[in-house]
This record gives sequence, C-alpha cells and structure tokens, in this order.
Amino acid sequence: MEMNDPLRREEKKESSPDRDKSGPASPDTSRPGRDNLLKRMKKVDPKQSEKYKQRTGQ
Amino acid sequence: MKEIVPLLGLETEYGIIREDLEDSDPVEESMKLLKSCTQKSVFGKWAYSQENSHLDMRGHRVASLAQDEEEDAFCAQDRKRPYSYLEMKCDRVLANGARFYNDHTHPEYSTPECNSLFSLVAHDVAGERIVAESTKIRNQEIGEKAVQVFKNNTDYSGHSYGTHDNYLVPRDIPFDLLVKGLVPFQVTRQLYAGAGKVGSENPKTKDYKGIQLAQRSDFIETILSIETMTQRPIINTRDEPHASRNQYRRLHLIMGDANMSAYATALKVGSTLLVLNLIASGGTVPEIELENPVEDVLRVSQDKNATLKRNSGNSITALEIQESYLEAVEQNYSGGNKEYDWVIQEWKRTLDEFKNSPEKLSDRIDWAIKEKLFTEFMETENMDWDDPMLQSLDLEYHNLDPDRGLYRGLEQENEVYSLLTEEEISRAIEFPPEGTRAKLRGEAVRKESEKIKSIHWTGIEFENGDVLDLTGVISQEDVGRTQVTG
Repeated sequence: MEMNDPLRREEKKESSPDRDKSGPASPDTSRPGRDNLLKRMKKVDPKQSEKYKQRTGQ
Repeated sequence: MKEIVPLLGLETEYGIIREDLEDSDPVEESMKLLKSCTQKSVFGKWAYSQENSHLDMRGHRVASLAQDEEEDAFCAQDRKRPYSYLEMKCDRVLANGARFYNDHTHPEYSTPECNSLFSLVAHDVAGERIVAESTKIRNQEIGEKAVQVFKNNTDYSGHSYGTHDNYLVPRDIPFDLLVKGLVPFQVTRQLYAGAGKVGSENPKTKDYKGIQLAQRSDFIETILSIETMTQRPIINTRDEPHASRNQYRRLHLIMGDANMSAYATALKVGSTLLVLNLIASGGTVPEIELENPVEDVLRVSQDKNATLKRNSGNSITALEIQESYLEAVEQNYSGGNKEYDWVIQEWKRTLDEFKNSPEKLSDRIDWAIKEKLFTEFMETENMDWDDPMLQSLDLEYHNLDPDRGLYRGLEQENEVYSLLTEEEISRAIEFPPEGTRAKLRGEAVRKESEKIKSIHWTGIEFENGDVLDLTGVISQEDVGRTQVTG
C-alpha cells in the first residue's frame, strides 16, 4: 500500500476525504458559481472543435 | 475470494493544438511540450529493445500493426523531418515512476504501476498536473497561451486517441475465460465510465443529435483484436506483459474514455478490478452472452436505456447487466477490503441513481456533468444539440488550462465531487507508489539519473554495466528484497 493511500492515512488518524464517509453530495446549482461557468462557456470560440485537428492515436 | 491483480496502470494520450498558427504541427508541438517538462527525469533513454507489441494473446505473432492510410502518409512525411524516431518520441521517465513521452504525436502520460486503486487515481491526476505545468512553461516561452492541451479521446472529425486501463493478471487464468466474463461488462461500463460526447463520428450514425455516453464508442469495431489504431476491440489481445511472460499477462483495455472526474476514473478501474477478481477466482460470473456486443457498444452510448439482444433470445438493458455484475461482486468481495467496499458502495449508489434520479449523477459522472451543463447553456442561449458551439463546449470541458477548461471551472466553483486531496495529488507528482517496482525505478531516477544508460518498465541498465531487473519484481515482498545499485 502506498504511504499516501487514503486508507493508510485513515489508520493514522489524519484527515480523511469524503470517500471514507458517506460518499459525494449533490452540487448546489443555485450558487453564483454557475453564472461564472456560463460566462466561461460564452467565451468559447464556436469554431474551436472545427479547428481542432488531431492525428489518429491508439 | 482472492485478490489476483497485483498491479494496475493507466495510459492517457492527450490532444494538443497550437492556436496562434494557421497549421498546428503536432510533431513539433508535442516535442516542445515534452522538452518543457521540468520534473526530475531521465530523458531519451527508453529501452525500445525491450518492447514487443506483435505477440497476440491467442498464441500467434503478427508481422506488423496496422494504421489508417492517412496516418501512413503522415508517417512518411515525418521520416523527412530532421529528427530521428527517438528524438520525436522525447521519452521521459519521471522520479514518480511514470513515463511521459510522445505516442503518435500525442503527449502520453503512463502512470507508474500502482498496487491500490486510489493510488492509481492520484497518479492519473498527477499526470494531468504535470502535462498542464509543461504546457504553462511552453506558453511562457511562446509569450502567450498559444498551446492548449486536452484530456479527451476525439477531434470530432474521426480521429481518436486512447486512454487505456491495464491490469496484471496471472497467466494461468485462461484468456477465453477473461473475455467471456468481461465483454458484457465492458460493453455497459460506459453507464458511469463514459466521458460523454456531443454528436457522433461513426458513419452509421452521423445524423445522431445529442450527447452520447462515451467518447470511444464510435470507434469500437470488433470484439478481439491486437490493433489499437484500426479495428479497435472491446478487449485488446496484445500480449506484452512487461513482467514474467510465464507468470503474468497484462490485460490491456483500450475502449475506455479519458475521465476528467477522478471519481469516474476510480469507479471505472475499481469495478473492472473487482470483476476481474471475480472471474479469475472462479466466482459465479453473470451468464450473459450478447448477440451483438460490438453494435451494442454504440447502441448503449447513444441510448442508455436500449434493450440488448441476448443469445438466449431474451433482451436485457445495460443497467440490468451492470446490476448483475455488481450483485455477484458484492456477494464475494463485500467487507474484506476498504477500497473494494468503497467501489461496491459507489457502484451501487451510481446505478441506483442512474435508475431513479439520474440528475444526481451530475456532480461526478462526466457524461452527466456535461449533459446538465450544456442543457442549461442551450436553454439560456436558445440553442440545440446540433449547434457547432456544443462540440466546442464539449472539447473545452477537457481543456487542462485552469482559466479555460470547463471541468476546471466546475472544480474551482466546487460544483463537482473532489475525490482526492491536494496533498495526495502533490505526493503523486513527486513520489512513486510505495511497495511497487515503480518505487525502485523512481528512486533510481531521483538519485542515479546520470548513471542510467537505458530504462524500461522491466528494468534499468546502468553505465557501469549493472542491470536492475524488475521483470519479476511484482509484490511488495519482491520490492523489499530488491536493491537499486549502479
């Protein structure tokens, strides 16, 4: 097991993330953060995906 | 029930573009990106002599691997460049045990071999950070944010690049048994592992409008194949264990998506790991044989509630298939291992919410996050799914730039679930996973880099002639018995 493994860390009584508790909570979409996201989305170049040419990978 | 997968790894090919030039040259840009990486590393010393990608799990050898005609033409042009093949590859092995290099002009980050799920996910996210930092440095050199890098799998014009999940399994488990048990699971894993994609690139469904579950589903053409650039399979048959060939095989799954959500990565790899354990331990695996598994990959991606035909003559949904696997895994692996318990708990939660309240998935499952985000945007802007803006938003979701990427924006606004702490990610950027052979590789890179003559997953050759053979170093006990000298 890795030293920074969350389960090891829990054994060492350090702070633990939500994954050791009850799982994720739903987002609060009423927050102003959603407006910031919409502003970010409006700045996207509508032709961006058209310009984005890649070569085949694996 | 036994735990039979000692090591796990993820490989991610990133998309790259130079936005200030009319024609972005992926060879030049990928090379310059790799050269911008400032992580402690060994550069240009990958031991290609140790590679052998032409052996097939089914017992034969192929003379060559295929690529499409367009890529053949590109490669012919590349041979005229003033660089050798190795110079274009720009191989780096990092002090955290990872490999960072160019694969078919895509910057690729291969995590170190990990022996725990959350360690692997931390190393995958560490890869995002290292690629993003290299991009930042490259852009400082240019003087503007001209280079943009994306953790996704498509350019929306029919070119796909991969995210492969790898599992080391004992050789004595019959390959046919793995295939039989895995195919229905793989076809339907996209219910939670799909990164979502606006529109379709499959010629058979080019009129599809909306968001598919997965980026790669348009590109799956067969059940089994050694190929990765054409005839992409549900299960890849390349037999390249990077370990003792007599003892192990490396299951190389190439149909997965590049997840921005670390939770989705954990659920994808964790559920696959448990199903592999179940199959290999002789547990009762759901007896589901699909009549058209290849077609079903795309069918499910474009209609998550589609009914799939079974060989038995009955029909079944993707959700029912996943519920069957979950039930079998839960009966055998519940309560024994905290990581497994997390996977079982979250797999159950996710399937339950998929069934009863799918809107709840929109904080941690990539396709659901996109669906909610883009639907809100379309309502605000009075757009439809076939507006070209939607594919551009889809692409931007995967942008690693913290000021532009939509997933990055969601993280900054705390609107998506954070699986990992910053401390865990920071550690994975700098240090290899404990108790693995990657730890030995990483230590050698950190302390002895100038003495290394060549390096590979399976060992290190030093300038003085010493060789550190890692082929048989698999378990934590093996690692403890092995010393780095050079």
